[in-house]
Amino acid sequence: MSEPAIVCAGLRRVFDDGLALDSLDLEVQPGTVLALLGPNGAGKTTTVRLLNGILRPTAGWSRVLGLDPQTQGHELRHRTGVLTENAGLDDRLTARENLMVTARLRGIDPRTARVRVGELLERFGMTSHAGQRCQGYSTGQRRRIALARALISDPELLFLDEPTSGLDPAATDDVIDLIDSLAKDRGRTVVLCTHFLAEATRVADQMAILNRGLLLVSGSPRELADELWPEIELQIELEAPATESMLDALARVGGVCSADATPAGATVSITDRQVTPAVIDAIVSGGGRVFAALPTERTLADVYFAYEERLDPVHRGLRAADAPTNSTILEQASA
Amino acid sequence: MTVTDPPPMVSHPPQRWRPDRSVITAIMVKDITAIRRSKAIVLPMLLVPGVLLIGLPAGIALFAQTRASPDLSGLLANLPASLAHPIAALPSAERMIVLVNGYLLAPLFLVVPLMVSAVLAADAFAGEKERRTLESLLHLPVRDQDLYLAKLLVAFVPTVLLSWLGFVFFAVISNAIGWPVMHRLFVPTTLWMILILWVTPAVASLGLGIMVRVSARASTTQEANQLGGAVIMPLILAAVGQATGLLLLNVTTVLGIGLIIWTIGLWLIRGGMLRFDRDRIASRL
Repeated sequence: MSEPAIVCAGLRRVFDDGLALDSLDLEVQPGTVLALLGPNGAGKTTTVRLLNGILRPTAGWSRVLGLDPQTQGHELRHRTGVLTENAGLDDRLTARENLMVTARLRGIDPRTARVRVGELLERFGMTSHAGQRCQGYSTGQRRRIALARALISDPELLFLDEPTSGLDPAATDDVIDLIDSLAKDRGRTVVLCTHFLAEATRVADQMAILNRGLLLVSGSPRELADELWPEIELQIELEAPATESMLDALARVGGVCSADATPAGATVSITDRQVTPAVIDAIVSGGGRVFAALPTERTLADVYFAYEERLDPVHRGLRAADAPTNSTILEQASA
Repeated sequence: MTVTDPPPMVSHPPQRWRPDRSVITAIMVKDITAIRRSKAIVLPMLLVPGVLLIGLPAGIALFAQTRASPDLSGLLANLPASLAHPIAALPSAERMIVLVNGYLLAPLFLVVPLMVSAVLAADAFAGEKERRTLESLLHLPVRDQDLYLAKLLVAFVPTVLLSWLGFVFFAVISNAIGWPVMHRLFVPTTLWMILILWVTPAVASLGLGIMVRVSARASTTQEANQLGGAVIMPLILAAVGQATGLLLLNVTTVLGIGLIIWTIGLWLIRGGMLRFDRDRIASRL
């Protein structure tokens, strides 16, 4: 296996007003899209700042692209691109000027910079607005220019904080495809901080859920779903809700854990997909007509909400004194 | 993950910082372009020097031409003898121009570098936070020292150039409009030149040093200007009170006073540089 693009252990950061990140252990392989998920204040932005070397950890260590962000931050930042939560464009400059300044600060010579800026403006459909000051831009336009800025030096590692925020559906789709292509076709590593779980589901190879500075879980969405839901849930579509006799027959099939009637037919939990034919046989033998039998696909969003549900008291906004400690959260989450 | 110890790194000896000219230039060009487009900055930057260095001396010189010479004996009696005697010895028509344009405007002149440097420094440092552009800048491969130096120069260079340009206007207008009365060039004097070339940049550095410190605590330009104003206003008043005296002193003393202001300004700037640290800045975003 190649050297990880990101590896950190025990990464911790405490600010004057409290703990922002605690004991973060993470490993991300090159060419991977990592979805960094969590509610506001979870520690996502702090993680990005630590990994890109603009914050020093209180404890722990990290290596990003083989470099120590704490001591080699300057070298590291030459190889990373960051889209911050706020677009961070200077409103008094035009889009082209904002991009040109970034290119110059990244050490790109003026001629190459002009070509690259032109390409990116074209890529994000902003060529016709390139000479306007950013002051009058819509949120979506600002986001596109900020994204273009993050990509200007074709970085090996991208930190993208809410890249699709404010974009229309078509532009959102385009950005998600771009992220996917950067990782799959170009081998770029992407850390995607987002609240939009459907988008993360489309591109993320790996997910990490943070809550109040603590990493609850990380891994591939598929593996995590398998851990959370070891049984396969089959949605059986029948001409009417399953009868009691059908449910009894299903309960007797080896490998069936549970069976319940639904308005569309039945939901059956099985231990292995090999059990599916036996389930259908049981229904047909009981006089039922099966129109479809589909396993429920568990997505990244399902995994996220499953963990969030375990932390429900926190999300209901307990008073500080009643709120569980971080260790309690971890225990709850891994229970 | 089981890894708990960091992998060994090839140790590099710490490199001595050398200013990266292209980075510093790029930041300066960006900031100056942005400043030029900001009416909130450009207007006070032009208005105050315009009034103090062009409007006032022109008005005084025109007044001296068109009106009967006012009696300045009462005013001269209250001035130090070393200043009053040479003026009293002049023809009555010249007294007012020499007194006001040659001496009394000097303290007001020092207001220009102090004020302009404060306005520009507030925009360069606190303004970056207010516009929420600082974080994206910190994520770029720009060394802290280069960023700090660029921001200093963005405030310092235009301040000094504007002050000098203002003084050129002041000298030309004073001499041109005063010519029918004076029939000679009466500004700049040697002490004026020292004030312009030595004390003015020193005062700019002082204003800059104060605003660098203040901006680190402020989150908006307005807040920085308010905090900075609380420190700078007494300095302006002190400058107004004391600078006339500067022109009465000998060259060595004025050079010495300039040196003291430089020292304080550079001490404040150096302190700001030591505190200008990515982690510290990012912690307050």
